[in-house]
Formats: sequence, C-alpha cells, structure tokens
Amino acid sequence: MPTEAKTSADLSAENHEMIDLIYARCQENAPNFGVTADCFKDSLTRTIFKYLGAEGDPESGDVDSLLTQIQADDLFLALACANGNERAWWEFDQAHRSYLERVARHLAKTEVDAQEVIDQVYVELYGTKIVDGERVSKFSTYSGRGSLRGWLRTVIWHSLVDLHRASHDEVSLDEMTENVGEGMAHASFAETAPGGEDEMMDHLARERYRKATVSALASAMASLEDHEKLLLLFYHVDNLKLREIARLVENESSPLRGWFQRKSRSRDENPSGRIHESTIMRWLEKSYARVLSLFKSELTEKFSLKPDEVEICLGLATKDLSGSDLFSQLSAG
Amino acid sequence: MKNLEKNNAPEAMIESLVGQFLKARSGTEFNRSAKGPHLDHDSLAAFTEGNLSEREARPIVSHLADCSFCRHVTAELIRLDLAFADAPAPAPIAAAAEPSKISEVLSGLLSRIFGTSDGAVFAHNAESKPEEADEKDAPVEPEDLKD
Repeated sequence: MPTEAKTSADLSAENHEMIDLIYARCQENAPNFGVTADCFKDSLTRTIFKYLGAEGDPESGDVDSLLTQIQADDLFLALACANGNERAWWEFDQAHRSYLERVARHLAKTEVDAQEVIDQVYVELYGTKIVDGERVSKFSTYSGRGSLRGWLRTVIWHSLVDLHRASHDEVSLDEMTENVGEGMAHASFAETAPGGEDEMMDHLARERYRKATVSALASAMASLEDHEKLLLLFYHVDNLKLREIARLVENESSPLRGWFQRKSRSRDENPSGRIHESTIMRWLEKSYARVLSLFKSELTEKFSLKPDEVEICLGLATKDLSGSDLFSQLSAG
Repeated sequence: MKNLEKNNAPEAMIESLVGQFLKARSGTEFNRSAKGPHLDHDSLAAFTEGNLSEREARPIVSHLADCSFCRHVTAELIRLDLAFADAPAPAPIAAAAEPSKISEVLSGLLSRIFGTSDGAVFAHNAESKPEEADEKDAPVEPEDLKD
C-alpha cells in the first residue's frame, strides 16, 4: 500500500467533477447529515490512493471506475456518524443495529458475549481516543469501497476475536489458530507414524528422493501465480468449501474469476454466467495439473530422474508426507 | 475431490501432495509478517465482497498468498458473508419513524454503553451544544466505559 500522502489536487478535473456529482446526490438523499463537500472529497481521495496507489499513480479511467462502484450513501452515513451527527447515528442505529445483533449472535457462543461485542463495537464506532482535540471514530476508517454491512461484519468478527483473547488471558495467535484450524493440521503431521513398508526402504535412497521431492514441490508451488496459490490455500488449508469459494467470485467482474478464465474460452462464451462449484473444481484441477507438470520437470531436469522414477517418487511422497520427518524438512525448506 | 487418494493416478496423488505440503508450510508461516502489515478491516471487507478491480485486488491477493493470518480471517469472513447472503438490505428510514427528539433517543442508546449523561455523549458536537465545549477535549478513558 502507498505511503506517500496524496491529496485531491492529484486527481483530474473529470474526477473532481464526478466526486462533486456523487456528493450532490448524497447531500440530496441525506441533507441533515452535515457532511461537507471537502470532508467527502478528502475521504474519497484517501480511498482512491489507498486502493489504486499501490502500482503508481492511477489513470483517470481507473479512478472513474472506482468512483462508479463506491458505496456513496454508506460512506456519507459513516462520515456523518464519524463527525458525531445525531441524525446520522439515529439512522445508522435504525438501519443496521438489528443486523449487527444477528451477526454477533451468529458468531458468539453466548448471548452475553454477543451483547458485549455489540456494545464494544458501538464504543469503537463512536471512538474513545482524542487526537489533536478531535475524537477518532472507527467510522473514519471505512472507505466506501465495500458495503457498510460487509465492513461491520469484519469489525464484529475482530471484536469477537479480541473478546476471546481477553477471556483467555491474551492467548497467542498461535494458540488461537490451534483451536480453529491451521494448527490442527500442524498437529496431525506430528502424530502420524511411518508405516512398516517405509522402514524397508533403503535409507540413502529415501533421503535422496525426499530431498528431491521437497525441493521440486517447493519450486513448483513457488512458480504458481498468486491467485492460483490463493485458491489452493483457501481449499486445502483454510478448508473453504467449493460453494464458499464460488461466493467469493460470484461478481462477474471479480478479478480472481478473470484471472482463472483469462486463458479459457468460458469467459468469452458466458462472461456473466454464474460460477458453480464445478467451475471452482475445474480451476483447482488446472492448478494441480500445473503443479504436477512443474514438479515433474524439476525432478527430471534438476535431479535427472527417469519418468518411471518420477511416478514412484510421487506415490511414495504422497504417503510419506503424512510422516513427521518430511514435515520437518518442509518447515526448514 | 478429497477422496482421490484411492486413485493412484498422478493427478490424484498431486492433489494430496499439494494439500499436505500447503498445510505443513502454512503451519510454520503463521506468524510470519508477509508483505508489509496485515490487511485492515476495510480491505478485508472489500475483498471478501469480491468487488475490487484487478488493479485493486492484485496486492491483496499477493499478500493473502503469503500471510496465513490474513487469509484465515478472510476465509472466516467469506463464510460469514455466505451465511448472511440472504439478509435483507437496510430499508429506507420512513419519515414517520423519526422520533420527535433524535438526540434523546441517541443519547439513551449511547449512554447505556458509555455510562454517561446525555450531554457528555454528544459533547463533541460543539456547534449544536456549545455549552459543553469544555468536555470536548477531555480524553475518554476506556475504564470509564465499563461503569
């Protein structure tokens, strides 16, 4: 993310004009919120450079595209609440409190926890820190790039994690994840004992194949593009179901969807088609095929293994990976 | 899909191998600070909703591929998003629903949390309540909230 502060002066005249139009519409919808044009423009400028500034100064067209997708009314409400506008707070409470309660109850183990989290979130939203004589509201960190409800869900989720940590005497994140997912995978590796068949293998040959397998697999995985890695990680490590991944790419302009479909004909044939679980499965299979191809190339080219040795190596590696020895090599690798 | 172990085809074996490899790697990388600081609430929420452009999403996807902490949070938020996918959008506020004195309603709501008087809750609003300006600069201590 960019570190250099940018101002609205860095935007084009067309961008300014568009922001003015958005502001006028929001002001018409909520004339009592007391959000000034400067406040609104400053907020949108921060959003633009936060999301588009990582790869250098954005083109005017990129900014236009972002502005057309901005959740302007949500942002207007959030800015008014951040400024302490009473009417805005009342509307926020009317529109979103019951939703906040539903999300908190869905996540929390007890009603007491849910209520505590809701109270905590309201406190954060209002703001308790005073910086340079101004109260800092959590609302001021909302950019309008996603929906206000999506942002509120994230705030509640984090508050619940904080509540959980506090009630467990500040357990480390390592310990927390041991209970929620990734740590479980770690533990299962350490418990699995090698079978008798493995003991029959020649020690030197095993070490040679292990070293080659770990190296080739690491190299193959490193060669994948980020979106391919992310898909595999979501599925295998974070245990997202196919339909949950499909939900993430539901939007037809989803970049993940675009990257996976770029080299296939499916986007051209059905660009706005719904993404089914079977589509995600095909993407996974393509990623496996890429890994396999890279893995085999590495074994044959770098380690000079013959094709039949590669197949044997692959089968043994799959079995041996459940043992702790190879896991320790992965950790070090 | 995950039952392919019974099949000895290389394609099936590589799936299992990839899964085991990623789990092992991820377990050791959990606390590693990947590329820069962790993603903030706003970026996580915007990405989870799937509305970002390629340019906006690229650095986020790159971070998520390296940072298991942020990826775990993202996965939880995706599940949460799906669980509430059918939640109705916020309805427009009807004019008739507006209370005669909004400040009273809000003050009651927030004073329950803050444990303060109505005036103190909105002390920051110097324009509408100039008589309370002295309280504006007073820091609010977290301990005060628990009274």
